[in-house]
Amino acid sequence: MIRALVTKDITLFFRNQFFAIVSVLGLVAYAAVYFLMPKTVDDTLTIGIYPPEIPAVFLEETADSGIVFVPKDSEEALRAGMSAQDNEYNVAFLFPEGWVRTLALSHALDQDVTILFTSDFPDELKEAYVVILEELSYTLSGQTINISATEEVVGQDLAGDPLAARERMVPLLAMIVLMVETMGLASLIASEVEEHTLQAVLTTPVRIGHLFLSKGITGVTLAFVQSALLVAVIGGLRQAPLLILAALLLGSILVTAVAFLIGSSSKDLLSVMAWAVPVLIVLAIPTFGIVFPGATTVWTRIIPTYYLVDTLHKVVNFGAGWADVWQNLLILLGFSAGFTALGILALRRKYR
Amino acid sequence: MNLKRIITLFWRDFRQGARGFLFIFSIVTPIVVSLILSLVFGTIFSGKPRLGIVDEGGSELARRAHALSSVIVKDYDSKQALIDAAGRGAIDVGMLLPATFDQDVRANTETEIVVYVWGESLVKDRAIIVTVISRTLRAMLGQAVPINIVTETVGTAESIPWQERLLPLVVLLAVFVGGFLVPATSLVEERQRRTLTAVSTTPATLGEVFAAKGLLGVLLSTLTGLIILAMNSAFGTRPALLLLTLVLAAAMATLIGLILGAVNKDINALFATVKSMGILLYAPAILYMFPNIPKWIGYLFPTYYAISPIIAISRDNAVLADVALELGVLLALIAVLIGVLALLSNRLKLREL
Repeated sequence: MIRALVTKDITLFFRNQFFAIVSVLGLVAYAAVYFLMPKTVDDTLTIGIYPPEIPAVFLEETADSGIVFVPKDSEEALRAGMSAQDNEYNVAFLFPEGWVRTLALSHALDQDVTILFTSDFPDELKEAYVVILEELSYTLSGQTINISATEEVVGQDLAGDPLAARERMVPLLAMIVLMVETMGLASLIASEVEEHTLQAVLTTPVRIGHLFLSKGITGVTLAFVQSALLVAVIGGLRQAPLLILAALLLGSILVTAVAFLIGSSSKDLLSVMAWAVPVLIVLAIPTFGIVFPGATTVWTRIIPTYYLVDTLHKVVNFGAGWADVWQNLLILLGFSAGFTALGILALRRKYR
Repeated sequence: MNLKRIITLFWRDFRQGARGFLFIFSIVTPIVVSLILSLVFGTIFSGKPRLGIVDEGGSELARRAHALSSVIVKDYDSKQALIDAAGRGAIDVGMLLPATFDQDVRANTETEIVVYVWGESLVKDRAIIVTVISRTLRAMLGQAVPINIVTETVGTAESIPWQERLLPLVVLLAVFVGGFLVPATSLVEERQRRTLTAVSTTPATLGEVFAAKGLLGVLLSTLTGLIILAMNSAFGTRPALLLLTLVLAAAMATLIGLILGAVNKDINALFATVKSMGILLYAPAILYMFPNIPKWIGYLFPTYYAISPIIAISRDNAVLADVALELGVLLALIAVLIGVLALLSNRLKLREL
C-alpha cells in the first residue's frame, strides 16, 4: 500500500514540469558549475625581477613564505613575462645594475627602482607590492627590527595546499539540491490538500499514518538520491562515503519535514514559493559561512542545516571521521526528529 | 482600445498584485542581490588579506595599520574574540599587541608577540600581512626607506572591477524579473481561475487586458531598474535617455512575459519555461563578466539590445548617437513581439470565449 502511494507521489512530482526540469537540469548544471570552477588556488605572489642579483638562498626563503621572484636576464625578457602571451606575472621589479651590492655597502640606492604593473592589475592591491619591495630593500640593506613573532595556527594548517573555491561549494551545492526538493514536495502536498485528493485516498483502506509515511519516504528518497548523486559525481564520496551518506540522509529527513510544514501552509506553487523562499534562505545561511569564510558568526549554529553543511565541509575537505562529527550528526538527528514531529502535526491539522 | 477601461483594469491588477508574493519578490530580489554583491565583492572578494588586532595599550602600530589600503584591519576586544575570528576565517592573521608594545619597540628591546593564523588562509595573504606589519614597525622606528620607488603601467588592457562586471546582470534581473514574471503569472492565474473569460463578457477586450497587464509590468520593471541603478550610482550623464532605454527594455520584458502567459496553461508550466529560457535571457549579462569573450556573441541574444544601451549610457556616459543602432534593433524586436502577442491574442480569444 505504501509502495503504491510512494510510486503515485513520485509520478506526480515529475509530472510537475517546473520541478521535473529544475531537478534534472539542476543536477547537470550544479555539476557543470563545479567542474568549470578552477581546481587549484594561486597561493603565491609571483614577481618578475631584473637584474637577477638576489642571492639564491634569499629567493628560496621568500618562496617558502609565498613570494616567488622570477629572475630575468634582460629588461626585455622581464617585460615579455608580463605580456598577454606569456602571462607569467602581473608585477615586476626593475632595479638598476648592481643594486644588491650597492644596498649592502651604502644602505641606499641613489637610482629609482621601478615597479611594473600590468594595466589590468587592480589598483587596491598595488600598495602591497610597494610594501614588499620596500621590505626587500630594508632586508638587503641590513636594517633589522628586534621583534619576533610566535605563530599559532587556528584550525588545520593548509599552507601550501589551500582549498579551491569549488571544494567549498560542495556543501552549498548539496544544500541547493535539498532545497529544490523541499519546494517540490511542499508543492505536491499543497496541491493534494487543495484538490482534496488526499481525502479521496483516505476513503480507501489507507490510514493517515500510511500517508505520512509514504510522503516522508517520497520526500526523503527524492532529496537523498539526488543530493547523494550530485555529491558522488563531484567526487565528494571519495572520503568516508558512509559518513557523507548518513549526513545527507539526515539532511533529507530535515528538509522533508520542512516541506511538510510549508506544504501544510500553502495552497499552490506561488504560495509555496512565498513560504519557501524566506525559509530556505535562512536554511542556506550556514553554507555562506563556508563559501565565504568569516561572512557569518557563531549564531548560525542555531540553524539546523549548520550541522549538515559543517559535517559535509569537514569530511569532504578535511578528511574528518565519525569521531570528529558525531555530535553534529546527533544534533542534526534531533532537529530532524523535532521538525518531523512538527511537520506531521501541521499536516494532520490540515487534513482535518 | 479604451484608455479608461485599461486604467480600470490596471488598478485592479495593481491592487491584487501588490499584495502578491511575486510582486514583492520582483522588487526585493534585485535589491537583495545588488546588496549581497556589494558586500561580497566589496569586502569578501576584494583580494585583500584581513588582519585582526587586539590593542591592549593604544599602540601606534594599530593606528598606522588602519591607514593601510593593502589590508583590511578589524579590531577585537579580547584574545578569545581574536582566536574565534581566526578560527572561522573572519581574519587571516590576528595579532595581540600588549600594553607595553610601543615602549618595547622604541626601546629596541627583544619583543615577542603572538599571532594567530587562520589555518585555511593563503600563504600569500600571510606573507603580505607579515610584510605590511614589518614595514609599519620600521616606520614607527623611523627607519628610512633605502630606495625610491616609481611605478609604471604595462599594456593597455582595462581593469574592470567585479562589482562593475556584475552590474549588467543585476540590471537585467531588475528589469526582467518584474517585467515578465508579474504579467505572465497574472495572465496564467486569470486563465486558470477563468476570470479572463468573465472579463471577456464585459465590453473590455483582450487587447485592453494585455495593455493593462503590460502597463503594470513596464512600470514595475522600470521602477526596479531605476532603484538598482541608483543603488549602484550608475545614472550616467543622460538620465532622460537612460529612462527612455529602461522603458523600452521594460516593454521588451513585459511583452515576453505576456507571450509566456498566453502560451502556458498553468503556473508550473510557466515556471518550467522561465527556468528553461533563463540562460537565453541572462547570457548577455554573463558575457559582460568576461571581457575576453568576443563581443559579437552578445549580438545573438535579444536581451543584449536591452542591456547594452543601458550599461553604455549609465556606465560609459554614451549619448543617443552611440546607442542608436542598438535602440533601433530593440524597437524592431519590440514590434516583432507585439506582432506575436497579437497573433496569440486572437488564438487565446477563440479559446476563452
